Parts: sequence; C-alpha cells; structure tokens
Amino acid sequence: MSASVTHSRLAGRDVPMSETPPDVRFIRVPSIAERKLGTSHTAPMRLDPRVLDKMQTTIRKLETKYAEALSAQVSMLQLLVDPAAKGDGEARERLYSLTHDMRGLAGTFGFPVIGRFANSLCLYLEKAREEDWRDASVIRLHVDAIREAVDNPGTDPAITTETLAALERLVAADLAKRKIAG
Amino acid sequence: MTQPVFEKLSVLVVDDSAYMRHLLMTLLQALGVAEVHLAINGEEAWDLLNSKEPDIVITDAAMVPGDGFMFAKRLRSLRGRALGMIPIIMVSGHTDLESVERARDIGITEFLSKPISARALYERLIQVIDRPRVFVETPTYRGPDRRRRDAPFDGTDRRGSVALL
Repeated sequence: MSASVTHSRLAGRDVPMSETPPDVRFIRVPSIAERKLGTSHTAPMRLDPRVLDKMQTTIRKLETKYAEALSAQVSMLQLLVDPAAKGDGEARERLYSLTHDMRGLAGTFGFPVIGRFANSLCLYLEKAREEDWRDASVIRLHVDAIREAVDNPGTDPAITTETLAALERLVAADLAKRKIAG
Repeated sequence: MTQPVFEKLSVLVVDDSAYMRHLLMTLLQALGVAEVHLAINGEEAWDLLNSKEPDIVITDAAMVPGDGFMFAKRLRSLRGRALGMIPIIMVSGHTDLESVERARDIGITEFLSKPISARALYERLIQVIDRPRVFVETPTYRGPDRRRRDAPFDGTDRRGSVALL
C-alpha cells in the first residue's frame, strides 16, 4: 500500500496516511445539535450555570425522600442477612440489589460514606462463595456500619473513615486470597 | 432557561433501579428534555429503542435480564440504520479499568461513574449532543472513534478518508 502525500492530523507529527482498507469505514455523523436546530445552532454548546443550578436543586429536593427510603432499606438489609446466610436465594438477590442501589445513589444524595460502605459490600458479594454467604460475618460488619452511619450521621468522621478503611482492607485481602487460591 | 436543543431531544433511560430511573428522568426534565422513555432492562429497552427511535441512550451496565453491555452490543449491530450509531452513555458503579475498556470496546460513547452528579451528566450530554466523534466501522468494532486524543501513535493512520452521513 503506497503512502499518500498527505500527512496525519495527529499532533503535527508526520505520519504517512495509507488508504483506508475497504473493510474499515470512518463516518462523520452530524451533531445532534446541528440536526435539531439547523442554522440556529451556535457551536460550541456550553454548560449553562443556571441550568446546572436547576438540576442541583432537583437533586436537593429528592434528598429528603431518599433519606427516608434509605433508612427503610437499611432495616431491610438487616432483616435479609439471616435468611441469606441460611441459603435463601431470593434474600441474597434482594440483599445485593439493595446494596447495589445504595452504591449508585447514596453519594448523589449526600451520603458518600454510605455509598462507599455499599461499594465495599458489593465488591464482596459479587465474588462471594457459598461459605462466605453462610458465614455472613463480613456482610454483617458492613450492614452494621451502614446502619450506624445512617442512624448517627454526627459520628466523628475519623472513626467512620477508619471503619471504612478497615472494611475495604478486609474485602481487598479476602479477594486477593481467593485469587491466589485460584 | 433551558437550552433549545434539549427541548427537541428524545432520551431512552435504561436502569433496573427505580430510584436511578427516577433520578435520571428528573434531571433530564430539569434540563428541559422533551421526551424521556424508561426501560427496566435491556430486553424492554430494545422494544422502546425500535418504537421510539431516541436520539440518545443512557444505560446502566449491570441489569438482568439483558445487561447494558449486551444491549449496547445489540444496538451497535444495527447496520444500515442511523439508529445503530446513536450515542450511548453508560452509567456504572464498576469503574475499574477492565469495565471501562469493555464499555469502550463495544462502542459506548461516554462512561458515567456512579454516584452520578448533575454536572457530570450535563457535561456528558453536551459532549454527545454537540461534539460527536467520527463513527468507525470495522469487521470487529462498530462505534465512536476510540482515539480521543490527538497524540502521536505507532502504526498507520487510516483516518484519511471520512464519509459523511
């Protein structure tokens, strides 16, 4: 394939450009803004602080509702640990689903620590073996920590951070051990 | 206050969490998005995708049945239809390199990590609405150009010929 006389547009470096192979296509797609607004679109589109403020206000309005729901969800988590440990598949599924929701949402609604506790528990549950479910001690430690963080938001942040770090270390060590065991 | 383009936009939101669906819908409405369609998994999303033909898809990664990866892969396999090239924003709590690379390699346009913020969502939307990347079709990949930076690289530059859609 002969090199053409044109050069790469990349970083001003002279790289010979080959012809594009027949099985590779590059397609320039018009922007959605161009398609929707036609000539009235003025690029580039920028983030409008007033719109962002409106979105953030929307989140703040949802925070109270979420805080109430979170408390109920944590109670549910506590109820699910025992049946999950005894082998109830539905309880295990629900426990993971609630934790997964917390991981995704708590941080958005002003509960970043709970999001991190939930993330740690999710990582553990995603690799949990039957004996881990049966033992349930790591699960219980996480659920208790989440309960504590929800019920006592005024707890010394240093204690919360230390608890979180300890649980994250515990999960990381456990996952590493399993990896070595193959 | 809303930007005119959002008022003409149709977005499909796919997430198995009712809270996350509600949050995304509410944020999109705050932006002024005219049409928000909601699906609880990849299977339901497929039906809505074909019937509503949205401009953008926002999908969660982990769902059953039919997770976000499978759904995106199926969407990108729609050859010969503009629908197969629409921007996909993947929302995920899995932010490890492996998950991000997996998303990139099935043609995800933007990746949004959980917990999401209003700013991050807004920025990703502006990116896909106003700054589309060239779409690439090869026997093994179909999606936006994965090379985002104008940095030197080893190998042949094949981006010389670009077709217009």
